[in-house]
Amino acid sequence: MSAYIVYQDQLPGLFRLWAKIYKVHVPVQTAPGFYDFAPWEPGGEVAWDYDLTVNPLKRFLLPPREDLVVFDARDYTAKGVFEAPQQLLFGVHPYDLRAVAQLDQLMEHGSPDKNYRRRRDNTVIFAMEPLRIAPDAFWSTMGAGRADIGFDLYWTKIGPATFFVEVGTARGEELLLAGGEVERASAAHHEAARRTREATRRHADAHGLKFPWQELARVMAKAWDDSIWREKSSMCLACGSCNLVCPTCYCFDIREEMDETMTRGRRWRQWDACMLPSFALVAGGHNFRAKHLERYRHRYFRKGKYIFDMIGEPGCVGCGRCIKACTARIANPLTVFNRLWEEYA
Amino acid sequence: MTPGKDFTPYAPRPATLVRKVRLSDFVTLFEFEQDNGRPLAHKPGQFIQVSVYGVGEAPFSISSRPKAGTNSFEIAVRNIGSVTSALHALPVGAKVGIRGPFGSYFPVQEFVGKDTLFVAGGLGYIPLRSLLRYQLRHRDEFGRIMLLIGTRSPSERIFVDEIEKLSQRDDIEVMETVDCVGDSCWQGNVGVITTLLPKVRLDVENTYVAMVGPPVMYRFVIGACVGDQCISPERIYVSLERKMKCGLGKCGHCQINGVSACVSGPVFRYTDIEPLKEAL
Ligand SMILES: Cc1cc2nc3c(=O)[nH]c(=O)nc-3n(C[C@H](O)[C@H](O)[C@H](O)COP(=O)(O)OP(=O)(O)OC[C@H]3O[C@@H](n4cnc5c(N)ncnc54)[C@H](O)[C@@H]3O)c2cc1C
Ligand code: SF4
Ligand code: SF4
Ligand code: FES
Repeated sequence: MSAYIVYQDQLPGLFRLWAKIYKVHVPVQTAPGFYDFAPWEPGGEVAWDYDLTVNPLKRFLLPPREDLVVFDARDYTAKGVFEAPQQLLFGVHPYDLRAVAQLDQLMEHGSPDKNYRRRRDNTVIFAMEPLRIAPDAFWSTMGAGRADIGFDLYWTKIGPATFFVEVGTARGEELLLAGGEVERASAAHHEAARRTREATRRHADAHGLKFPWQELARVMAKAWDDSIWREKSSMCLACGSCNLVCPTCYCFDIREEMDETMTRGRRWRQWDACMLPSFALVAGGHNFRAKHLERYRHRYFRKGKYIFDMIGEPGCVGCGRCIKACTARIANPLTVFNRLWEEYA
Repeated sequence: MTPGKDFTPYAPRPATLVRKVRLSDFVTLFEFEQDNGRPLAHKPGQFIQVSVYGVGEAPFSISSRPKAGTNSFEIAVRNIGSVTSALHALPVGAKVGIRGPFGSYFPVQEFVGKDTLFVAGGLGYIPLRSLLRYQLRHRDEFGRIMLLIGTRSPSERIFVDEIEKLSQRDDIEVMETVDCVGDSCWQGNVGVITTLLPKVRLDVENTYVAMVGPPVMYRFVIGACVGDQCISPERIYVSLERKMKCGLGKCGHCQINGVSACVSGPVFRYTDIEPLKEAL
């Protein structure tokens, strides 16, 4: 795979070029210690050393609310709506990339989701090796520390102002070379990048799962009646924050609204959350997961088993966002998985 | 028809209401015709999503048998919420939007040459009716057909005339019961549906069961044995309802453990859902 060397001072020029075609989003600091992706602005600061953004990438690919259909109630005709802006996401960490790769598979599985596909096709992803690791993160031990697919370019900072840039797609390479010649990486650069990544990995591996993630589904299979579900869920506020911030949660509701003429309207999907009491509630008042315990357990089974069984990897990439988002302090997948391992290994 | 570039499974197609028949205080039969003139091309046990624009969309089992050469089909709806009450308010000639058919179905070919025991609890007759009418239409291909119906009270019975006619035929055995009589002049069986089971003589080795009703009913019937012979769980098919939104295996609402009820179901072979903790 070809690789290039880019120096910090080349970046403003490249960003300006990319911004002509794409809406470019970069990590920025939003408050001390808080980061998020925001539209790139000339002269704006990029938070190169962010540890975790508050929001995952799913909002770029599966927006909180997305129109699916416009309809006309007079003749009952309906038409699909596909919105797919050209966007470039710069500085994506591997665990978030992994989550996107999962969404790619799950949205394609069975009946391919055209709305997702079109957004994804128009989205360029420039991944970046993390320079810092969030205290709650455990992605490295979830197998999400290194992404080998799903990026157009992969950036690794190998010197104070030097980036090693690995090519993932032809589109990525073209964008990199759009401004003219770029230095080719030498064997020494390759070696420097390898060492940087190894150091990150060593650091990241120090905290996390106490067992190989490959064992997760097998452990979960024994854990249905475990007491941990009651223990943890007894404090659950059923707020759905853990779903909201999770890069791999993608459940949605479908809603609609008429316009002011009461003749035409639109139907959209919007994020839903399996932790909310209404999620499996049906007409007549029956609720298929009425208890906090049932909903809490379902979320962990989706992450640890159901998605695993479908795609061969856990539906949790270990970003740690839910840990931070949960005010009840119970949404830590690591605590749950490690304890189940101790009980059922 | 090859779907165009902007085809989306989320866009309903128009259909027109051509007939409405009141089945009970709360349940109405609706016959629709697809405006595109094509047959619905469903299989017995499948469902469609029906839209009333401005109100929403809800899943309903297709109650009529598959019919080639006609664009008409039937659903039967209990008036219980926003979409269902909007449907009840529609006049003949009004339009709705439909998506589907979706989901799994009763494996009709497997039933050929065998006996079929239909067990319908509550509104379970609605989805079973599609398979039943198909079998009656191709009567020679199937063995005995037995229909057990259980309803809470006489006033909640649906398809009363149709079932009356069926019970007069000699190529189908019909038995009906109600849980409690109330103040009506019901003369038939009283008791839950499982009390009918000992009254049917089954060739258990040769019988398939198609069962739709509340989960408690499933548990009782599945455990049931006739004499010392038990119905093999591999030949029991049930239909499971869940909250459904997309019908495409994406939105997550209908999940039973790791299984999407809208794609792998609603019709399941009992042995396939037996290991699923959330199924029954
Ligand atoms: C596969 C399947 C087949 C069904 N077949 C029939 C049938 O033949 N006849 C019949 O009367 N009913 C049937 N139902 C139940 C029927 O879908 C609900 O009664 C209906 O969705 C209620 O919608 P509502 O808008 O009137 O109620 P509201 O309570 O206002 O519901 C709002 C929305 O929630 C969702 N929802 C609520 N209840 C259900 C439910 N039970 N299942 C799925 N989604 C729900 C729907 O999207 C609905 O539009 C079936 C359900 C499923 C899943
Ligand atoms: S479950 Fe929590 S740690 Fe795992 S991917 Fe989702 S938000 Fe991140
Ligand atoms: S964030 Fe915490 S309190 Fe809120 S639903 Fe999730 S587990 Fe429950
Ligand atoms: S109804 Fe959406 S996944 Fe089944």
